[in-house]
Amino acid sequence: MASVYIPVQGTEEEVRVALDQLPHDASDILDILKAEQAPLHLWLIIAREYFKQGRIEQFRQILEEGSGPEIDEYYADVKYERIAILNALGAFHTFLGKVERAPQKEAHFKDATQYYNRASRIDETEPSTWIGKGQLCVAKGELQMASDSFKIVLDEDRNNFPALLGQASVYFLMGEAEQQHKKSLEQYRNSLDLYKRALRVYSNCPAAVRLGIAFCRYKLGQVEKARQAFQRVIQLDPQNVDALVALAIMELQTNEAGGIRRGMEKMKRAFEIYPYCTLALNHLANHYFFTGQHFVVEQLTETALSSSNNGLLKSHAYYNLARSYHSKGDIETAGRYYMASVKEISKPQDFVLPYIGLGQIQLKFGDFKSSLASFEKVLEVHPENCESLKAIGHIHAKSGDTEKAKETFKKVTRIDPKDHQAFVELGELLVETDWAAAMEYLKTARNLLKKAGEDVPVELLNGIGLLHFEKGEFEMAEQSFKEALGNGLWVSIMDGKVGSSMVNLSVQYKEQSFFHQLEEEGVPLELHSNKVTALFNYARLLEELHDSVRANFFYRFIIFKYPDYVDAYLRLAAIAKQRNNVQLSIELIGDALKMDEKNPNALSMLGSLELQSDETWLTAKEHFRNAKEATKGDAYSLLQLGNWNYFAANRPEKKAPKFEATHREKAMELYQSQVLKKHRGNMFAANGIGILYAEKAKWDVAKEMFTQVHEAASGSIFVHMPDIWINLAHVYFAQGHFQQAVKMYQNCLRKFFYNTDATILLYLARTHYEAEQWQDCRKTLLRAIHLAPSNYLLRFNVGVSMQKFSASTLQKTKRTVEEVRATVTELQNAIRVFSLLSVASTYHSHGFDERKIETHVEYCKHLLNAAKVHRDAAEQAEQQNKQKMEVARQIALAEEARRRAEEQRKFQLERRRKEDELMQVKQQEEHFERVKEQWKTSNHASSKRKDRSKNEDEEGGSEKRRRKGNKRKDQKTKMSYGEEDEDEYRYEPEAEDDYANLSRENDADNSDKAPDHLLAAAGLEDSDAEDDMGHPQSVIEQKRRAWSESEDDEPLKRSAAQSSPGANDLSE
Amino acid sequence: MKLAGLKSVESAHEESIWAAAWAPAADHRPTALLLTGALDETVRAWIPDELTAAGPPAQAHALGVVSLAAHPAGALAAAVSLDSFIRVFDVDSGASVATLEAPPSEVWGVQFHPKGNALAAAGGGSGSVKLWDTEKWQPITSLTVPRPEGARPDKTGSGKFVLSVAWSPDGKLLACGSMDGTIAVYDAIRMKFLHHLEGHHMPVRSMVFSPVDPHVLFTACDDSHIHIYDAKEKGLIGAMSGHASWVLSIDASPDGMAVATGSSDRTVRLWDINMRTSVQTMSNHSDQVWAVAFRPPGGTGVRVGRLASVSDDKSISLYDYS
Repeated sequence: MASVYIPVQGTEEEVRVALDQLPHDASDILDILKAEQAPLHLWLIIAREYFKQGRIEQFRQILEEGSGPEIDEYYADVKYERIAILNALGAFHTFLGKVERAPQKEAHFKDATQYYNRASRIDETEPSTWIGKGQLCVAKGELQMASDSFKIVLDEDRNNFPALLGQASVYFLMGEAEQQHKKSLEQYRNSLDLYKRALRVYSNCPAAVRLGIAFCRYKLGQVEKARQAFQRVIQLDPQNVDALVALAIMELQTNEAGGIRRGMEKMKRAFEIYPYCTLALNHLANHYFFTGQHFVVEQLTETALSSSNNGLLKSHAYYNLARSYHSKGDIETAGRYYMASVKEISKPQDFVLPYIGLGQIQLKFGDFKSSLASFEKVLEVHPENCESLKAIGHIHAKSGDTEKAKETFKKVTRIDPKDHQAFVELGELLVETDWAAAMEYLKTARNLLKKAGEDVPVELLNGIGLLHFEKGEFEMAEQSFKEALGNGLWVSIMDGKVGSSMVNLSVQYKEQSFFHQLEEEGVPLELHSNKVTALFNYARLLEELHDSVRANFFYRFIIFKYPDYVDAYLRLAAIAKQRNNVQLSIELIGDALKMDEKNPNALSMLGSLELQSDETWLTAKEHFRNAKEATKGDAYSLLQLGNWNYFAANRPEKKAPKFEATHREKAMELYQSQVLKKHRGNMFAANGIGILYAEKAKWDVAKEMFTQVHEAASGSIFVHMPDIWINLAHVYFAQGHFQQAVKMYQNCLRKFFYNTDATILLYLARTHYEAEQWQDCRKTLLRAIHLAPSNYLLRFNVGVSMQKFSASTLQKTKRTVEEVRATVTELQNAIRVFSLLSVASTYHSHGFDERKIETHVEYCKHLLNAAKVHRDAAEQAEQQNKQKMEVARQIALAEEARRRAEEQRKFQLERRRKEDELMQVKQQEEHFERVKEQWKTSNHASSKRKDRSKNEDEEGGSEKRRRKGNKRKDQKTKMSYGEEDEDEYRYEPEAEDDYANLSRENDADNSDKAPDHLLAAAGLEDSDAEDDMGHPQSVIEQKRRAWSESEDDEPLKRSAAQSSPGANDLSE
Repeated sequence: MKLAGLKSVESAHEESIWAAAWAPAADHRPTALLLTGALDETVRAWIPDELTAAGPPAQAHALGVVSLAAHPAGALAAAVSLDSFIRVFDVDSGASVATLEAPPSEVWGVQFHPKGNALAAAGGGSGSVKLWDTEKWQPITSLTVPRPEGARPDKTGSGKFVLSVAWSPDGKLLACGSMDGTIAVYDAIRMKFLHHLEGHHMPVRSMVFSPVDPHVLFTACDDSHIHIYDAKEKGLIGAMSGHASWVLSIDASPDGMAVATGSSDRTVRLWDINMRTSVQTMSNHSDQVWAVAFRPPGGTGVRVGRLASVSDDKSISLYDYS
């Protein structure tokens, strides 16, 4: 080991200091140096030695002592060594400044500057000082100043090696900093030139110089030459980590398996040589991230973090860590590291990847605002980054800004017309507003995927299927659902391979033995969770196609695999309800509520089921209320509450008018203030309000309401709202527009009920009745009986209509024998109908009074007798008519004879006139008298029976009786139709054989009562409205009840009576 | 297994046609006749395949014909009207043979015993099936439908309301369907109630036994489903859905392979019994299809299958079944 010899002052002796045995305490050496006044270059050598050995403190101590004022004084003439010491200190502080963080960084730079300034004061032309200054400037990032410093040196000596290197590195850094690509290339070129010159000047230079060349070439895009340069570096210095890493990166960038492998090998070698190279660590971490060795990633990045202060490299390291946690699913930790990574970067241009990760995690945590900000940072750097755009679109969509979301996704599709995700998102955004566009987008997405040969996701196919479904394109929908579902049990069910062995399935839905049996038979029963929705929708489609058996099966399969799928229970409940299996339906809803006791759909369904039963209708309200709370008061649950109140108002239990009014008011409030205010287009609420107006006989307002809803409902294929047809018809009826009412009822029947609704037929019959279309009335009722055989009310009404028809025929002034004969038959039928009803009442409590029927039978018999008389009379009249014709013929003959005779007489008169005038006159008069006599007799022969007098007292009498009738009505609840008829006809048997009078009274009576019907009509609608909300109930039952309800409502009846002049007109 | 339309007669009646039945070929008449009954209070007879009227319409079926049944011998038929009379008449002459009633009960569906020695009628609100002998047209018995155990009381206060009857082809079982959807099965030899078949909860308006399997009963219900029961063993063995509205009428093909149904959804459907699935839908009617009837085998042209359907739209349609 080398030694230095410090000459001992005043002697020839020297002190030998072995450089590898420098004392720990630098003061020992310093003492010697100072005592012996050793030349300054020895100070430097010793200090450098300390530095080399890493004993920084001693190094500093010596140099600081060596640059003190004593030394300046003592060695005043030793310029170069003093400068060298100062420069060494400057360089040292520059280095410290580079590695330290602020604020020490600044302090070191300040110290360095002072040392260099002191050096300059000793000799301002010393090139090494300028070089030091230049390097200081580089460290401080003041590239221009650095360049100036180096230039001063190079101007003096254009081959100054350190200056060349310094200037080269300045150019290189300038190139890095340069924004414009072209200019930065120029800088690199300059840098490269200088490095080359340096190499020429000093061909044995350290390998590092060649590194500079390599980097420049790399930056200039001369990849091959750069590679050669790096390799040369490694040849010279196999331990050069930078070159290794650089070469490794270049290998990695080839993106080939071999390249990556070689690259990784080099990285590993670099790592082995120097385990603290952050760049290498980051790359290694990156590699192990992709190979999934997360533990290694963490270790590497932690080392990288601790061994570097470079922000960018640390950012990379944090990013690697974050990514690793992210992929492991620990998004919280990942989020923290992304955040740390972002914090290390001053601007997103440097390193944008962590922003993406951060944005994704913020999105996951629902922090839309921050997430949006993160993704927007990404867009600053890459304005066309589709992933970020999609994320932003997604955020807009989530935060309800559909327009912005649409724009964003559209932008994505413009940038990359093959981005199927964007098309899917667009389609889903437009599903509710623009069917056609949504369909277009989804289909595009599907086609893109298909073209790319990728599997189309179940969700996308499901979405397309749903769109078809909504549009009523069931076949297309089925295709999509089938495609979405692929293979499975459902296929065998649709083929009939499995379903045919289905035993007892529709009876016991809980029975799962069937599925177990299938399982044992080895039938695959998989149902992947992402297919459940598609299967459910397929089942819904099958329901729509009326194949509820298979739908039922699918739902049960879903429940078998996913017992908490509430919607499947509810659909099963709905099917059971449709099939009138109320018990099963309630049971199923109960099961659904066990899964989710707040499920508003289940609560609503339960409520409407309970509404149908006398025992449970009160509790229904509770369920509606709970549903309202669960949905925070959506329109549907509010409507149901409104309907409930309306229903309650019409319940027989709540007799008190006060309650009734309260319920009505409440209903009105719910419809109007709560629903209609929020949802201006809610047809059901409008319908409800219309009904309430109709109840108050405000026909015009009600009609306006109904007409508007009707128009809206007719325009949409999705709205299924028969009530509005019925309500409008009721209003027409109430206003006496029977033709329109008939049309409305008929359209409703045909459009919504396949003509199967006996209740609407009853309305129709009533309209015909009021319009005095007896035959139509009768036929309509017969149809109704055919549809509802057990409804005896209809039979009674048929009897009445036939009786009425007969009576009206008989009262006609002109009638044919045919008509009278038909009347007789009809009366016989009526008697049979009434008689059957009468005997039927012995075993059926169908609600009519037997005496009442007796009265009808009596009256019909009475009429029948009369009719028979009339028939005989008519037949007689026919006979007479024949006779009359004969008489008329004879008269004509007589006339002719008379005329001829007269002519003859005239002729004779003419002849005789001249004979005797007076005589002639006398004769003539006599003759005329005789002719007159003849005339009179013939007239008497053809005269008819004279009109009968009217019984005026009858009017007053009927009035009283009607009152009585009304009171009696209060005791009954059903069969209002028949009831009124009863009153109508009660006095008829007492009436005299004066049909004209009778009928007028009847009509008067009717017109007063018409509003009853009307009211009833309006009242019925309550139940309808509820029905329509997706809860078909026993319509007939409710209607009947409602009907009887309004029947009992005396005061309202009166007011209604006044406001329906149309009905009154009829009596005239 | 398919249907092909052969002939349709528009305005075959003046009003909605509600009933149809085939009077089988007989010694005196080599072809089967199609009988139809309607709201216009007439019964008319038609000669296949041209569906020409066999004679003038028979009047006096007051208030409209709701059910028709032909005697297996082919000479007689029974028509039920809404006035609750069963009018038995000679198919060829139209002459009245007997007028039956079972007061106080009204009458709905009627069916002759497969051997022809009895006539069964669904007794509506009386909750019973009435039986007459076909010799002297005297009442034999009345089979009451018992309430099923634990059944909830009917809100209307009425008991069972019986709508439809069906005899098994071997004459051993008699089934009757009612408004509330329950089906009562009787031992038709001992005239004893056996059990109820459950599964429907709406009116069962039409039923037919399989001609090849005397235990299998097909039922048509307002719940728009067709159920397949083992009537003997009291089991629901299958269900078929597809109609959009009430299933009003059902008949089984003579080969026992298929059933046809008519529905208020205006269609006629053909169902494959083995596959339990609808194989064809005929949409030629424009209103409710109240009756479908396969022509019974026998007479000329026995080998070709014929199905007739009648509808509220006043038309009759005849199809080839093969």
